[in-house]
Amino acid sequence: MRAQSELKLRKTLAHICLISIITLVLIPFVMVTIASLRKGQFPPSALFVKPDQLSLEHWKFILGIPYRELVNPATGETRVIQASPSPLLWLWNSVLVSGCSSLGIILLSGTAAYAFARMRFRFRSSILRTLLILQMFPAVLSLVAYYVLLDYMGQHFRLIGLNTLPGLIAIYLAGISVNIWMIKGYFDTVPTSMEESARIDGASQFQTFLRILLPMSAPIFAVVFILSFIYTMSEYPVASVVLQTSDTWTLAVGANSFLYEQEKLWGTFSALAVLGGLPITIVFLLCQKFVASGITSGGVKE
Amino acid sequence: MTLSLRHVLVILFLLPALYLDFLAYQSGSTWVALGLLIIIGLGAYIYLDSRAEAYRYLFPGLIGFGLFIIFPLLYTVVVSLTRYSSSHLLPYERALSLFQQETFSNGGSAYNYELLQQHDAGFLLYLEEDKDSSKRFISEPFELTAKESGPVEPIKLSILAEGATPPGQPLALPQITRQKLYIPLRSRHFLLPDGTLIALEGLQKFTARQRLWKINGDGSLTNLQDGSMIRPDFSQGCFVSQKGEKVGVGFRAFSGVENYAQIVTDPRIQGPFLRIFLWTILFSALSVVGGLAIGMFLAVLLDWKELRFRNLYRTLLILPYAVPSVLSILIFKGLFSQEFGAVNEFLRALHLFAPEWETNPWGARAMILLVNLWLGYPYMMLVCTGMLKSVPSTIYEASAMDGSNPLTDFFQLTLPLVLPPLVPILVASFAFNFNNFTLVYLLTAGGPRMVGGGIAGETDLLVTYTFNLAFRDSGTNYGLASAIATLLFFIVGTLAWLNLRLSARKVRA
Repeated sequence: MRAQSELKLRKTLAHICLISIITLVLIPFVMVTIASLRKGQFPPSALFVKPDQLSLEHWKFILGIPYRELVNPATGETRVIQASPSPLLWLWNSVLVSGCSSLGIILLSGTAAYAFARMRFRFRSSILRTLLILQMFPAVLSLVAYYVLLDYMGQHFRLIGLNTLPGLIAIYLAGISVNIWMIKGYFDTVPTSMEESARIDGASQFQTFLRILLPMSAPIFAVVFILSFIYTMSEYPVASVVLQTSDTWTLAVGANSFLYEQEKLWGTFSALAVLGGLPITIVFLLCQKFVASGITSGGVKE
Repeated sequence: MTLSLRHVLVILFLLPALYLDFLAYQSGSTWVALGLLIIIGLGAYIYLDSRAEAYRYLFPGLIGFGLFIIFPLLYTVVVSLTRYSSSHLLPYERALSLFQQETFSNGGSAYNYELLQQHDAGFLLYLEEDKDSSKRFISEPFELTAKESGPVEPIKLSILAEGATPPGQPLALPQITRQKLYIPLRSRHFLLPDGTLIALEGLQKFTARQRLWKINGDGSLTNLQDGSMIRPDFSQGCFVSQKGEKVGVGFRAFSGVENYAQIVTDPRIQGPFLRIFLWTILFSALSVVGGLAIGMFLAVLLDWKELRFRNLYRTLLILPYAVPSVLSILIFKGLFSQEFGAVNEFLRALHLFAPEWETNPWGARAMILLVNLWLGYPYMMLVCTGMLKSVPSTIYEASAMDGSNPLTDFFQLTLPLVLPPLVPILVASFAFNFNNFTLVYLLTAGGPRMVGGGIAGETDLLVTYTFNLAFRDSGTNYGLASAIATLLFFIVGTLAWLNLRLSARKVRA
């Protein structure tokens, strides 16, 4: 009897503990949503909004819909406000950059991981080790070199220079080594018997890779895609140095631009944060089982 | 050997690549062209020779890796050994060409001028000698832009036939100054048919000029106006006169370990560097330990099979990992805002002390740590959950018979089992936080400023300090920034190597 009530007490304590932590996790998200719906540029600080303060002006602004703003309360004078370029463009740039980089990363790291997992060749383990050590150097430290490199390439090819999205994508594509390790770890767990019998039936190495191993490895590619997507979506330093004009900005650079030192446009920022953050969050949560297994299977990425 | 699809593809790639290489060579970048040629050759070999089959799968990835990871690394190391800052910005050749363009008036004839705007946005210069207005000249069409690029050849003038009117729209003096044409125009030189060099002097007149500096065979320059001599000093990265004074702009120069020595000896750098270094270590250590503690605690709780709503809890607890961190960091910047932020309003409502998150160094550090714990625990939770799954439940049965409680179970049975395999992940997490640029840069930008520390801030990590040295300050110092970056390479590289040793079982594969 005593043990029963003690167990019940423990469970209640556990629930209270978890619920209070989850409350701490959720409050910032509730507050930012409220701030996006509140008239004026207030930092996220309230859990509800009074009906007379409710306004869609921030949402209209970031969606590029023109709206009227009262300039002079005495005369009732108004002016039309429309964002230029529309912050939606930043979201689009971000999706484009993250989508292309993630696809490219899958392509590059998938093929490389195949060679490491299924083939024996010279320098195999030393290349693997070098990849692992070098991937720990953060991109921030190489910014000066990126700047010089893109500047040079841009002088010969307008397309991949400074202030271009392909230039940024090219830099992101280099971050493949973690993913090579992750995919290789998965390939290692896939039994080779099917590939071997296909080889005996006359399939080439490339065919077995394409037709047999790849379809069996769809889950790990989903994980790599999602993690790369989120990582590139959140990347700030490289994007802020490479992208110089507001029409090429990504979400991360654009969102920060609303928070100048002198004037912080919290309301506008909040609406952009909700709009940009929500889709990724939902996709991530839907795939969380995959992601969790990918992380625990040896990939290290925060 | 039959011609297969592969050969066709290789040739299809090869042709534009070689053309590109040719273009690079033609534009004067010989070394780049050579490097590209080697890569192209290597690629052709790998995709055509069957002995290199494994490398076919690696080649594209390794090229990207080499270009954007290894090259920047080497480049940073090289820059760290040079004097390269806002006062030593140009390469030597460019600095020299600036001297070559300098001229002085040698008392020859003066000319009145008109600047004529052409339809295609270019310009013509019309000149008329002020003593003899029958001597009239017209220039070739030229462009005037503020951005000067390298040494500019003088623009040739030819004699304008009598009675002919120069084409285009003459600009009045205010227009010349207003359109920001004056400075580019002043820096251009023109060449008369008889070989006299002329340039704008003041606002009204062009005068005959002579090159100021004569380049001698030994690399020194002689000033033709006063006969003095200067020579380049490659250890200081500037031109010095015979008296030892610096003349003109500095240029990039090899400086050996000077930047590294500066970190150790210069008190203006050394003081902030040490403090930032210690804070970086403290920050990384506390982030890892704190994140692990919270993550492990939650993982253990959620591992409890009899607890209801476990899946719902887990989904909600992962949220901070799912939201792009840039956005959550900026949201926290608002929440912790000193005056109107939610955190301080809440604390004030409870009549508690409201910390100065923005202006007090320890307040700012506490904020950074709190936010990083919020951001970092879900990752640790996911990792710990995976580890706990591998612990066999039978080990608890024996201890349950002895009447143990969950706490002693955890510390005596679970922890010793899960901690060793966690070590590589903890080291990696330490390295990640060591370079957690985005968090600090967006949350505090390193502030509040360190007293007497120049651009260093109290919450700066080494990476944000390096970034500020290279990009944010007016006294941009690429050399010093690269030296600190190189030191960081070594620190992080050691951690990575350590990590590899600790997880050696995985590498063998």
